[in-house]
This record gives sequence, structure tokens and C-alpha cells, in this order.
Amino acid sequence: MSGVAVPGVAVPIQAYLAVALVLFAIGAGGLAVRRSPLAMLMCIELMWGAANLALVAFARRIGDMGGQVMAFFAITVAAAEVAIGLALVVLIFRPRPRADVDDVQELKG
Amino acid sequence: MHGQQAGQWGWLLAVAPAAPLAASLILAAFGRRLSARAVAWTAVTAVGVAAAAVAGAVAVYLSGGLLRLAPAGWWWQPGSQAPGLGVGLQGDGLSLWFALIVTGVGFLIHVYSVGYMAGDPGFARYFAELTYFLFAMLLLVLADGLMGMLLGWANVGLASYLLIGFWHHRPDARAASMKAFLVTLTGEVGIVLASGMLWGAAGTLRFAELAERAGGLSREVAVAAGLLLLWAAAAKSAQLPLHVWLPDAMAGPTPVSALIHAATMVTAGVYLTARMHPLYAAVPQASLAVAWVGAASCLFGAVVACGQTDIKRVLAYSTMSQVGYMLMGVGLLAQMAGLFHFFTQAFFKALLFLAAGLVIHRLQGEQDLTRMGGLARSMPLAYWATWAGALAMAGIPPFSGYFSKEAVLEAAWSRGQTGLWAAGTLAAGLTGFYSFRLLALAFLGPGRGPGGSRGVQQAATAAGHHEEPAVLRRAMEVPVAVLAVLSAVGGLAWVPGRTGWVPRMLEPVFGTTAAHGPAGEAHGAAGAVGWLPVALAAAGACLALYLYGPGARAAGRRWRAPAGLQRALAEGLYVDLAYRRTVVEAVVHLGAWLERVAETVWIDGSVRGVGALAALLSSLLGRAQAGPVRRYALGLLAGGAAVVAWAVWSTWSAG
Repeated sequence: MSGVAVPGVAVPIQAYLAVALVLFAIGAGGLAVRRSPLAMLMCIELMWGAANLALVAFARRIGDMGGQVMAFFAITVAAAEVAIGLALVVLIFRPRPRADVDDVQELKG
Repeated sequence: MHGQQAGQWGWLLAVAPAAPLAASLILAAFGRRLSARAVAWTAVTAVGVAAAAVAGAVAVYLSGGLLRLAPAGWWWQPGSQAPGLGVGLQGDGLSLWFALIVTGVGFLIHVYSVGYMAGDPGFARYFAELTYFLFAMLLLVLADGLMGMLLGWANVGLASYLLIGFWHHRPDARAASMKAFLVTLTGEVGIVLASGMLWGAAGTLRFAELAERAGGLSREVAVAAGLLLLWAAAAKSAQLPLHVWLPDAMAGPTPVSALIHAATMVTAGVYLTARMHPLYAAVPQASLAVAWVGAASCLFGAVVACGQTDIKRVLAYSTMSQVGYMLMGVGLLAQMAGLFHFFTQAFFKALLFLAAGLVIHRLQGEQDLTRMGGLARSMPLAYWATWAGALAMAGIPPFSGYFSKEAVLEAAWSRGQTGLWAAGTLAAGLTGFYSFRLLALAFLGPGRGPGGSRGVQQAATAAGHHEEPAVLRRAMEVPVAVLAVLSAVGGLAWVPGRTGWVPRMLEPVFGTTAAHGPAGEAHGAAGAVGWLPVALAAAGACLALYLYGPGARAAGRRWRAPAGLQRALAEGLYVDLAYRRTVVEAVVHLGAWLERVAETVWIDGSVRGVGALAALLSSLLGRAQAGPVRRYALGLLAGGAAVVAWAVWSTWSAG
């Protein structure tokens, strides 16, 4: 039972986790280096996807569907998050000449 | 049968304090919107209801019932961990004895106040406070334990504070109210400490249970509690060395002086020591200390009263002196004698104050005896009332004071306490002197004011007559007349050797020995000794009339005391000065020191330190909140990575 039980091909869980890791690293790195708020939102989405993938893979591995259900919830919440995040980005950057998060520093302590 | 009656009539005890309380609340809330007539009727009716309730309770008691109102659901009920702490009401002979005087004299003085305070802008406030006092005093005497008594005790103190400072635009009234409150407050500390001791040792604060367990107390506890309660009694009853507040308390309206500072509240110390008689019976030394404090105050007050010139201060020191007799009686375990003197003193002292009030009222606030004189013709009622009061206070038979004072002195003699007897006898002589000095200076001879008081008096008389409706004048005169009669015949309540009200009320509480003492035959042997105080009092009275009476000045008989003595007496033998030099200045210096050090360094320093610390922390943390969004994101990632790293590390090290 080391692989995921797909008829025909047996993809080992390490493969799923590797993909998830790569996706997460891309997202995290992009979040850290990009200055465009839209790009940063997309990077966050990448990290969401990586986390969901890991959830689903572990759920299959353990044989507990709870993890997959959790992934669906996460997708739903992510959709809501994107809707709110985009709205905020539009509101924040509409009066500005360009969309650059480094320009938004009004709340500095 | 007793139980049945207790259940049936116990509510009378609740009515007595509740009626004045209700009136007080009504007047405090709506007094300003009510007419003076409505205010007066509310207060007088409430006090009348209370008096009727007490009279009913007395009737039940005399027919053999013991009234009791245990703490029911309507009152705070302690948990089972604290038995004996509840606040209930009881109506035994001693409680009802006091309640009878409080409501009876209280009723007369309320009526008198309607006339005396008429036209005062604070008319409604006055009655709200006076009825509040009556509520608190009834709670004090009707409570069935030290806990409830302390509640009443503290509340009468507050009422006294409010009423002494009633004319709060006068600085002397403000200072006097503060002084009275603070001095009597030290006594409350004594009660609290004694209550703690007794509760720890006996496990109860209820009087009935305390009486049963008093004999089993350890000596140290009994002596300490007895002395602490004596301290409290001395503070409330203006006994040495805590009497200094009483003369100043005369800054209040005269009916207040009559009710609170002569007839009722100042005798709370007598009530307390009489109520705790099982405790004092167990430790004769503490009991004797009570008697000696009483005797010393009795003599001290009588001496100082001879040298006062303010009519109300003379009466204040005389109150101190008369309360001293009561404490002497109670301390000698002749409680019935002491309480009988309380009974008669309430009448004649209230009478003297109210008569003085008539004079002060007529003279528009003049209280200086040296500026009065010759009022006998224009104020016959006040004159004859003062005669009755002075004769009763001096103890001239058959006026009431004679019987009660004799009972106290006889108790001292028959118990072999010659020192106490001598002090009391000497004070009796002085009583005769200062009573009749007051009478002579105020009413006899020519006017003594600069230019004669006749002019002032005539102007005042004219003013008084045309602005005062007859009903208000009668409201003041009728109580004076009633009290004059009671002062004259009040002694019949207990003619020695016969039964009367006093034994019937009080013997069930104290037992028969409290009347004449164990040596019944000494009663008869006192004959010649018994007449000595009367003879001294009569001599003092004659001397006063000779020195200050009609024609004394014309004949050049005015005796001049040495200036030093005169000054010492006027200053109350410098007790106030001693307090100022020691206690007051020490406290003032302590306050100044605290302001300099504690206030500026400790309190301000710590407050400013807290502020500075918050500013420092915020400037540090603020750097982390500089605004760059991507740095926040990096921080989040780093934090997440740290959590994961910690989880992995702990899993490996565990597995």
C-alpha cells in the first residue's frame, strides 16, 4: 500500500508531494519577490493549490475521505478569498498611478 | 405562648424603623416639589406611626410576650458558614425601653421642628435627614445582634454628620460635622474589632447567644472586647477622652441638638454597654472601667459646663455629665439605675434644649448667655420650662432627675465604690450650679448685651410675632409643655421601693440585682448619705441664683473667677488644644509628607513610568509595522517555515 490506489498506474505519494512542494515554493517565492498585487494574489492561489493537492494525496493514502472534503471546503473559501482580495486590490489601487504594493505604506507604525 | 406572640406581633418591630425610612426616602426624592405643609405632615405622621408601633410592642411585651423578627427572606441572610451573623430585630425590655424614648421624644421634637425650621430653605432636606436619623436609631436599638446594631450605629453617625452640617454654608458647622463624624468613627472601629473577637471566640454575634456564651469566654478576650466596646461607647456618648466633638456639634439646628446630641444618639454608648451586660458581668475590671470613665466624664462635664457662655455649649457639657451618670450606673451593673437616668435625662435635657431653642429663635440666633437676660417676662413658657428642666437636672425632689440620679449614686454607695459616689455627688452639686446659672443668665436680671438686650429683644419679638403664624408657634410650644410635665413627673416611673414601669420593663433583662444591688438593706442605710447630693445641688443652685440672679449686678455681687480659670473652663480645660497639638498636627504633617513623597514620587512616578514604558514598547514594535506588504509576506513564510521545522524536529527527536 505504498502507492496511491489508481487502477493501472501506481503513482507513489512522493510524486504528489513533490509536485505540491514545487507549486508551493513557486507561490512563496513569487509572493516574496513580485510587487504587482495581481501577481501576488496568483501566487497565493498557487500555494492554496499546493496545499489542496497535499490534502487530497494524504487523504487517499490514509483512506479517509475527510481530507478530500476538506480540500473542497478550501477551494470554496479560496474562491471567496479571491473575490474579496480582488475587490480590495481594485479599491486600494484605483486612485494610484500604478499597481505596486510597495507604494502602500500609509499604515506604518 | 411566647412563640406565638412573637410570630403574631413581630411585624411591629419592622414597622417602627420602616415608617421613618419611607418618609425619609419620599422627602429626599420629592421633598422639593412638596409644600412645607405636606413635608411636615409626612415626617410627623411617619414618626407617629413608628411611635404607635413601639407602643404596641411595649404592650405586647408587658403582657408577657418576647418579640422577635428573625432574618427572613426579605433581608440579607448569611450562608451556613457564618451562623449568628444575620440581621434580625428583637424587642426585649431594653430595646423597647430605648425605642420608646426614641420615638416618643422623637415625635415631640419633630413637631417642634415644624415650627423651628419653618421658612428654612432646606425644610424638606431637614426632615428627610431627621427621619433618616430616626430610622437608623431604631435599627440600632432593635437589632438582635452586634451586626445589625453596627449598621444602625454607623447610620446614626451619618445622620448626625448630615444634621450637624445642616447649615453647610457655615464653616464652623462643616468643621463640626466632620469632627463629630471622625471621632465617633474611631468608636466604630472598636465595635468592629470587638465583634471580630467575639465572633471568633463565641461563634455568634446575636445578643441572646452571646449572653449564653459570655461566661465561657477566655479572660483575655472578654477584657479586650469589653474595653474596645467601652471605647466605642465613649466615642458615641461623648465621654472622656473622646467628648470633644459634642460641644462643637451644637452648630446644628437646636432641635437636632435636642434629639440626637442630648436624648438619643449620645446615649447609644449606654445602650451598648447595657446590652453587653453579660460580658461585663463576667469581667468586673472592664465593668469598673466603664463606671470610672462615666464618673470622670460626669465630673469633667459638670466642671466645664460652669464656665461656658454659649447656652447650647452649657447644655452640651451637661449632657456629657449626665451620660456619665448613666455609664456609671451601667458600669456598676446597676443597669436599671443607669437606664432610668437615661429615661429622665431624655425628657429634661430635650426640654432644656427646646426651651433654649425658643429663646434662640426669638433672639434670632443669639446664643451667648452674657448677652441675654430679663427674658422671664416676655417668654413665660420658656422660663417656666427651664425651671422644670433645671430642677430635674439638678436632681431636686420631686422632679424626675432626683429619682434617677439617686438610684445611680445609691448603687455606687451600696457597692462600696466610695470614689465613684464622691465624684457623682460632687458633680451633682455642680449640676445645681450650672443649671441655675443658665437659668439666671438667660431669664433673670436686666438685659446684659452691650446697650442692653432689651432693644434687640423687642425688635426680635416684634419680628417674630408678625411673621409667625399661630399654628407654628403652637407646634413649638406644645412639645415644650409636654416635656415639662414629663420632666416633672417622670420620676414616678420608678419610685424607689415601689414597682413601676422601670422594673417591669427591665427586670426580665437584667434580673433583680440590677436595681438595688445585692445588698438590699444598704438601700435604707443610705438615708443621710442619700440627701447629700440633693443638699449640694440646692446649695449650688442658690449660689448661682445669688451670683447671677436678679439684682446681683446692682449689688455688686458678680463673682469674677480668676482669669486663668475662666479661660481654662471656656476652653474646655484645653482638651481640644491637646488634640490639636498631638493628633491633628501629626495627621496634618503626615498628610504633607505623603503629598510630598507618596503623591509625587510613588504615585505620580509609577503612573508616569507606566506611560513611558508603553511609549517605549510602541516605538519598538512600531518598527515591525513599517508598511511594506512583501516584508509581511516574508515574515509569514518564515514563521510558517519555523513551525514546520519545529514540528519535524520534534517528531524526529520523539520517534
